[in-house]
Amino acid sequence: MAKKDFAEIKKEVKKLVSEITEVPEDQLKDEARFTEDLGVDSMMALEIVASIEKKYKIVIPEDKIPTIRNLKNVFELLEQLMEK
Amino acid sequence: MENFWDINKIQEILPQKYPFLFVDSVLELDQKSKKAICLKNVTINDYFFEGHFPGNPIMPGVLIIEAMAQASILLYAALRSEVARKKPDFYLGKVEAKFKKPVTAGDQLVIEVSGEKLMDKGGVIKAVAKVKGEVVSEAEILFGVKLRNENNKK
Repeated sequence: MAKKDFAEIKKEVKKLVSEITEVPEDQLKDEARFTEDLGVDSMMALEIVASIEKKYKIVIPEDKIPTIRNLKNVFELLEQLMEK
Repeated sequence: MENFWDINKIQEILPQKYPFLFVDSVLELDQKSKKAICLKNVTINDYFFEGHFPGNPIMPGVLIIEAMAQASILLYAALRSEVARKKPDFYLGKVEAKFKKPVTAGDQLVIEVSGEKLMDKGGVIKAVAKVKGEVVSEAEILFGVKLRNENNKK
């Protein structure tokens, strides 16, 4: 994969999450908890995972998904997966 | 054409029963590429034609989606057999669909489903329905899978 500026990827992912969760980007803080603060349900989570996988051609391991609690976790996981 | 899974096997797997079965046979199943091809023979005897529409038999779009969803369950059952064996409930989460051509009595609806993402607790499937090789409808289907006794655990 071409090395993309990770700040750019973060911006894109935030936009994608904002579109799926219908939470405006300015309210979508990195630390906000998906389920408790943002009202993300399992279906939205699945949609987010599938969209990210498709967009960046990566596979997010199934066992990692429950560990994702906020946007910060998503970035951390993405950074790990893309380094490989 | 050889049936990969016949109607008896389909009835074993799908929780939907008559008169709500919209897959007649599974023609192809490829575990590796996560794809399945299912067939629904649309006939004038299909009960929905009585009202949709009198004198103008058009298969309702929502039932094409239902057929796609049933094809998705069959694919899921093939790829995640250890989960499907426990007879979980399948929940439709989100559908994005396009309809390009009407489907009518006499058509053979060939539904191709491919797994974009399949997990123990749900999945995303891309479905394309064709009649005589021409695309009549496309959809992306997001669904959840949940075992019944899981509800009590929480």
